[in-house]
Amino acid sequence: MTELVQTLVLGLLVGGIYALAASGLTLIFGVMRVINIAHGAFLILGAFIAYTVWNQLGLDPLVGVLITTPIVFGLGWLIYRLLVRPIRHAPMSSTVLLTFGLALVTEGVMGLVWGNNSTAIRPSYVDQSFHPGDIFLPKAQVYGGLLAVVVLLALWLILTKTWLGRAIRAAAANPASAELVGIKVTSVSAVVFGLGVAAAGAGGAITGVLYPFVPGSHYVWIARLLAIVVLGGLGSLEGAVLSALVFGVAETVTAVYFSPAWATAVPYAIVFAVLLIRPQGLMGTRLRDDAVAA
Amino acid sequence: MAHVSIRRCWKAVALAGAVSLGLCACGGGGSSDSGNDLTIGASLPLTGDFSEPGSAAKQGYEVWQAMTNDNGGLLGKQVKLEIKDDASNQNTIVSDYNALISQDNVDLLLGTFSSLLNLPASAVAEKNRMLYVEPAGGSPDMFNRGYKYLFFAQQATADKQGLVFADWVKNLPPDQRPKTAAYPTLDDPFASPNVDGIREVLESAGIKTVYKTTYAIDTKNFDSIVAAMKSANPDLVVHGATFEDGVGVTRAMLKSGWTPKMFYETSTPSFADQYVKAIGEDNTEGVMYAVSYSPEADTPGNKEFVAQYEKMFGSAIPPEDAADAYAAAQVMQAAVEAVGSIDDQLALADWLRGHEVDTILGPLSWDDTGAPEGEFLIGQWLNGTAEIVLPPEVATAKAEVGWHPGS
Repeated sequence: MTELVQTLVLGLLVGGIYALAASGLTLIFGVMRVINIAHGAFLILGAFIAYTVWNQLGLDPLVGVLITTPIVFGLGWLIYRLLVRPIRHAPMSSTVLLTFGLALVTEGVMGLVWGNNSTAIRPSYVDQSFHPGDIFLPKAQVYGGLLAVVVLLALWLILTKTWLGRAIRAAAANPASAELVGIKVTSVSAVVFGLGVAAAGAGGAITGVLYPFVPGSHYVWIARLLAIVVLGGLGSLEGAVLSALVFGVAETVTAVYFSPAWATAVPYAIVFAVLLIRPQGLMGTRLRDDAVAA
Repeated sequence: MAHVSIRRCWKAVALAGAVSLGLCACGGGGSSDSGNDLTIGASLPLTGDFSEPGSAAKQGYEVWQAMTNDNGGLLGKQVKLEIKDDASNQNTIVSDYNALISQDNVDLLLGTFSSLLNLPASAVAEKNRMLYVEPAGGSPDMFNRGYKYLFFAQQATADKQGLVFADWVKNLPPDQRPKTAAYPTLDDPFASPNVDGIREVLESAGIKTVYKTTYAIDTKNFDSIVAAMKSANPDLVVHGATFEDGVGVTRAMLKSGWTPKMFYETSTPSFADQYVKAIGEDNTEGVMYAVSYSPEADTPGNKEFVAQYEKMFGSAIPPEDAADAYAAAQVMQAAVEAVGSIDDQLALADWLRGHEVDTILGPLSWDDTGAPEGEFLIGQWLNGTAEIVLPPEVATAKAEVGWHPGS
C-alpha cells in the first residue's frame, strides 16, 4: 500500500509539472490554431535563464520565475509581432514550419550563449525530501508542483475572471465576431502567444531544477507535450492539465509495476486508446464538420 | 477554446509530428577543397542528446589537427577537418558520412560518438572501403558484423570495461564484500553490455541480484526506479548510464534518503566538472566508474596534449571524450604514416590489425574484428578528485570501499 501511495504521489507531482509545461502549447493553439513546435525550445530557454538568474544573482530558481517569466513573455510577444503575425492567415502548415525553424534557431542560440555542455541547477534543497510516514516527497518536486499549481491557477483566473480572458475566449471562439465587438484580435493573440511562451519559461525553470539539460533537450519535451495536449483535446487548458496528470501517473505506475523500459511508451498507448474512443481528446469538443467527415 | 475541427487538428498534428521527427534529422552541408591539404571528415553530435561528448570530441580532433600541422602535417600535407553536426540522430549521421565521402570527397574518416551513432556510420565507411577509427562505440554489436575497416580507439569493448572493477569487488574481504546488487541500466548498446559484463562476474561470485531493469533513453523520472531499488535494498548499485540519466538516478537516490553502500556508474562520473556541478562535490565521495583516460597518465605525448588543450580551450583537465577523440586520430595517423599512402585503405586497416599503437590512452592493439584487446582503468572520486584506483600498477590512489554522499 505504501508503495502504491508513493507511486501515485510521485506521478502526480511529475504530472503537475507536465501540466504547466503543456498549458502554453494548448493555450496558443486554442486561440491561434498555431502548433508551436518551438515550445520545447522555449521551455529549455526558460531553464537556461533560470540557471543564469540562480548562478549570477544567487536567487532561488523557483523564486527567479518572477524574473524569468516576464523575460520569456516579452520574447514571445516580440516573436508573435515579428514572425507569427505576418503569416497569421496562412495555412496551418506555414506556422508549423515557422515554429520548427524557431526551435532550431533557439537551440543554436542557446548553444552559442550557454554552450552544449550539460547544465544543472542545484538549489540547497535539490537532494532533500519530506518524509511523511513511510513515503518520501522530494522537496524540489513538491515546490515545483506547488509553483505549477500557482501559475496554472493564475492562468485560469486570467482566462475566466478578467476582461483580457473574456477577450481571449471570444477571439478563440469566433475571431470575426470578436473584432466586431471591438476586440483587437491581433493584440490579444500577441498577449496569448506571450503567455503561452511564458508558461513554457516557468515550466523550464522548474524542470531545470529537476533535470540537467542541454540545448538539444527540447526534442524529448516537444514530443511529450504534443502527446499531452492531443490527449487532453487540442486547445483545452483543463484537458491539458488532466492529460498531464494521467501521463505522469501512467509513467510512474508503469515504471514501478511493469518495467521502466515501458514507462515512456505506455502513456502513448493510452493516447492511442483514448483517441480511438474520443477522437477529440479527453476534453476537446467535436464539431459539426467532424461529424460530416466521419 | 476547444472548438476546433478534429479533421484540421489531425492534419496539423500529423504535420507537427513529421516536423518533430524532422527536427532530429537536420544535418549540415558544405564542401572542402582538397588542394594540398589532407581532408579528414567526421560527423559529430554537436547538438541534440549527445552534444556534450560530441563537443568534447570535436575539441580532441581540433587539438590533434593543430599539433599535427605544427609538426609538418600528415604525409607532408596540412590536415584540414570537415566536421558536420549529426544532431545526435541516426538517420542524419548516415547522410552526413555519405556526403563527406561523395560530395566533400574527404581523404580519410574519423568516427563519431556513442555506439548508437557509430553503428550506422561505420556501415557507410565499410561500404565505401574507408578506414574508420572510432573514439567511442564500444558495444560488442559493433564488432560482430565482420567489418574490415572498423577500429575502436579505447582499451576494451563495453562488455569488458567493468571487469577490473568486478574482479576487485569479487576479491574484497568477506566483511567488505557486497552480498546483494542492483543493476539499472539505460537501453543503450554501450551501457547495457557494460552492466551485464559486471553482473555475470558478480553473480558467479555469489553476489545476489536483487533488482535489474532497463529504461528508455527519454526517461526523465527516476524516482520510481529508485523507489523500487530502495525496497530491494542492495549493497551495491551498478548503473549503466550516459550523463543526464546518471545524474537523475544519483539525485533520486539522494532525495529518497536511501543510498547503497557501494556505487558504480558508467560514463557519468567521468564528466569531471560537469558531474561535480550536477550532483554536488560532497556527494561524489567513493563513486567508482570505468575510464579510458587520465590527464596525469605518463603515456607518450600526453603532457603535450594536455598543454595544447589548455592553450586552445583554457582548461588543464581535458574531458575523457576529447582525449578519446585525440587517440582515435593518433591511431589513424600511425597507420597512414606507416603505410605511407591513403590510396588503399584496406592496407591501413591490415597494418592496424598487425601492430600496436602508442596513444595518450596507452598502447592499443586490436583483434581481427577491430575490437581492442586491452584493459580499462577504474576511476574513483576521492576527496573531490577523480583518481585512477585500478589496476594497481597505474593507480594514482588506493581504491576505497563505499560511497559516502554528503561527506
